[in-house]
Amino acid sequence: MNALFLAFAHLRWTWARSLLLVVVGALILSVPLVTQVLLRGSEEALTRRAEVTPLVLGARGSQLDLVMGAVYFSQDRAQPVTRAAEDAVWDSGLALPIPLHTAFQTNGARIVGTSLDYFDFRGLQIAEGRQMALLGEAVLGAQVADRLGLGPGDTVVSAPENLFDLDGVYPLELQITGVLAATGTPDDEAVFTDVKTTWIIAGIGHGHDDVVTPDAAGNVTANAAITQFQRITPENIDSFHFHGASGDYPLSAVLVAPYDTRSGTILRGRYLDPENPLQMTVPAEVVAGLVDRIFRIAALLDAVTLVIGIAALGAIGLSLFLAWSLRAPEIETARRLGAGRFMILRLAFAEIALLLILSAGIAAGLVTLVTMNGDSLVAWILAL
Amino acid sequence: MLKPLAFALAVLAGAASAQDRPVVATVNYPLAWMAERLGGDAIEVLFPVPEGRDPSFWRPGLSDIAAIQQADLIALNGAGFAAWTTRASLPRSRLIDTSSDLSGAFIATQSVTHSHGEDGEHSHTGTASYTWLDFELAAGQAQALAAAMQRRMPDLSDQVAETLPALLADLDALDSHAREALAALQGTTIIATHPRYQYFARAYGLDIAALEWEAGAMPGEAQWQDLQNMVTDTGAALLIWEAEPPREARDRAAEMGLASVIFAPLASRPASGDFVSVMRAQVTDLAGRP
Repeated sequence: MNALFLAFAHLRWTWARSLLLVVVGALILSVPLVTQVLLRGSEEALTRRAEVTPLVLGARGSQLDLVMGAVYFSQDRAQPVTRAAEDAVWDSGLALPIPLHTAFQTNGARIVGTSLDYFDFRGLQIAEGRQMALLGEAVLGAQVADRLGLGPGDTVVSAPENLFDLDGVYPLELQITGVLAATGTPDDEAVFTDVKTTWIIAGIGHGHDDVVTPDAAGNVTANAAITQFQRITPENIDSFHFHGASGDYPLSAVLVAPYDTRSGTILRGRYLDPENPLQMTVPAEVVAGLVDRIFRIAALLDAVTLVIGIAALGAIGLSLFLAWSLRAPEIETARRLGAGRFMILRLAFAEIALLLILSAGIAAGLVTLVTMNGDSLVAWILAL
Repeated sequence: MLKPLAFALAVLAGAASAQDRPVVATVNYPLAWMAERLGGDAIEVLFPVPEGRDPSFWRPGLSDIAAIQQADLIALNGAGFAAWTTRASLPRSRLIDTSSDLSGAFIATQSVTHSHGEDGEHSHTGTASYTWLDFELAAGQAQALAAAMQRRMPDLSDQVAETLPALLADLDALDSHAREALAALQGTTIIATHPRYQYFARAYGLDIAALEWEAGAMPGEAQWQDLQNMVTDTGAALLIWEAEPPREARDRAAEMGLASVIFAPLASRPASGDFVSVMRAQVTDLAGRP
C-alpha cells in the first residue's frame, strides 16, 4: 500500500511524463482492438447490406464504384444511366426497379433521389413527422437529423454536384417532412427525396413565372427575364414541369428486386453482353471480393501494428529505465533511510502497474466507445 | 437470396394484410367505375376528388396523397390527365398507367413554344387526356387495369378474370351504339364549350370545334362573340355543354340558332346511373338532335 502511495505520488509529481506514457500505452493497447472492431463491423455491415440488395443496374465500368455508390451512397460513383434503363426492367415484368439519383449533397449528407418503393425495400420507418408527398419534400436519415439538429418543418439546401459546378445547378430548398428511425446503415447518413426532385436540382425540371404575357391587344411577348423558383411551395408547385423525354432523365443506378430467382437469372443474362453499356451486378459478390481484399490488407496492418507496438513498448521501457537512472540519487537516499532492494523493486513495479492500469482503463473506454457507436461509425466510414 | 425474394413477395402482396379489403385508388370516375366492376365488393375503390371539382385539375391535399400512397393499386389515366401525379411521390410498384400501351393513339394538342436563356426554344407538348371517350380506348384501359389488379391482388385474380369479359362487352356495345347512332352527324360541325372531346370526335367521325368556356358558368360578352364567329365560320347548329349551363346561356345559344346538348365527359361521378348507362343516354340524346 505504501509502495502504491509513493508510486502514485511520484507519477503525480512527474505528471507530464506520466500522462504521455499513459496515452502512448492506451493507444498501443486500443488501436489494434479498435481496428478489429471497425473492420469486423464494416465487414458485417457491408455483407449484410449487400446480401439484402439482390441486383444493381448501372453503367458498365467499375463494379465496385457502382455498388459502393448505389448501396452505400459513397463518394465513388459510376457513370450515370438513363431512366430508360429503369423502364426496361419494369417493362420486363421480371423485377421491381428502384431508381437512385445520388449526385447531390446537402450539409455533407448525400441526397438520395428515389421512389417510395425504396422505403419498403429497406424496411425504413418514419420515426418523426410524415413521409414525403410532393416535389421539394425530403426525409432525413436519423444520423443526419441528429448531427444537423433538424426535424420536420426545417429546410436544407442542396449543394452543387462538385466545387467547380458553380453554374451547373440551382440550389433547391428542400422541406423536411420526416425523420427516419435509426437503422445503423448508410440510410442514417442520407437525405431522401423523390427522384423527380433531384431532377429539378439537376435543372431538368423547373418552375418559373409565366413565360409569355399577353398585352391588352392580345399580343404575346416573351419575358426577357424569368424568375426561376428555388423553393417549391403550394403557390408555385403547379408551375414545375420537366423538359425532354423522360427516358433520357439521368439516374446514378437502379436497385433491382427480382420477383423470383428465375427472373433474377433471366435479367442478369440480358446484361452479360460486354457491348451493352449497362451492367447488372450482384452486390454480394462484389462486396465479398472487397471484404476479402480488406482482410488481406488488415492482416498486413496487424503485422505493422505488432511491430510498431513492440517498438513503442521498447521505447516506454527505455524511458522508464532512463527515468530510474535519473532517480539514482533519490533511490540512494531511500536506501540510506532503510529501504531494502525489495522495497525499491516494489516501488518500480507499483509505478509500472499504475501506468498499465490507467492505460488499460483508457484503452477499454476507447474500445467500448467505438463498439457502442460501431454501427454509426461504420455507416459514416462507408459513406466516405 | 431469401431476403430479396421475401421482399419481392411482400411487394406483390402489398399492404393488403393490414386492411380488410385491398384499396384501388383512381384519378377519375371511368377508372373508379371499371375498378368497381372488376373487383366488386372485394375491393375498396378510392376516388378522392370532391364533388363539384374537376379531376383534371384537382390538387389533392397531403392527407389525400397519404391515403393514395397507402393504396394497394393506384390507377392513373395517363395522357397527362391529373397533372398532380407528376408532382407527387407515388410508389411505382403500385402504379398502373392504364393508357401507357395506348400511347400510339394519343392526340397531341397545341402548345406554346418558348425559351430560357441559352437553352434554345422548346415547347410543352400537350396531349388530349379524355381517352375514355373513345370507348375502344376505354376497353384497353379496362384491360390494363384488370391485368394490374390481377398482378397486385393475386387473391382476386379469378374474380377479375370472370368480371372482365362482361365489362369489355358493355364497352364494346357502347362503342357500337355510338358508331351507329352518331353516323348521321358525320360531316357536320359541332361546337363544344370545352376541349374535352378530341377522342370522341375522332372515334365516331365527328367534327367538334372547341371553345374554352368554364363549365356551368355564364360566358362573358367576348366569349359569346367567339361563339358567334365560330358559328359563322363553321355553320354549326349544335352546341355541346359539359355541364348544365345557366338558363340564360342556353337561351342565348338558342337565339344564335344553336341547339344545346349536355354531354358530360364523366371525369366525375354522375349523380345517378353509371358510366355505360349515362354515356349511352348522352350519345342517344346527341344523335337525336337535328
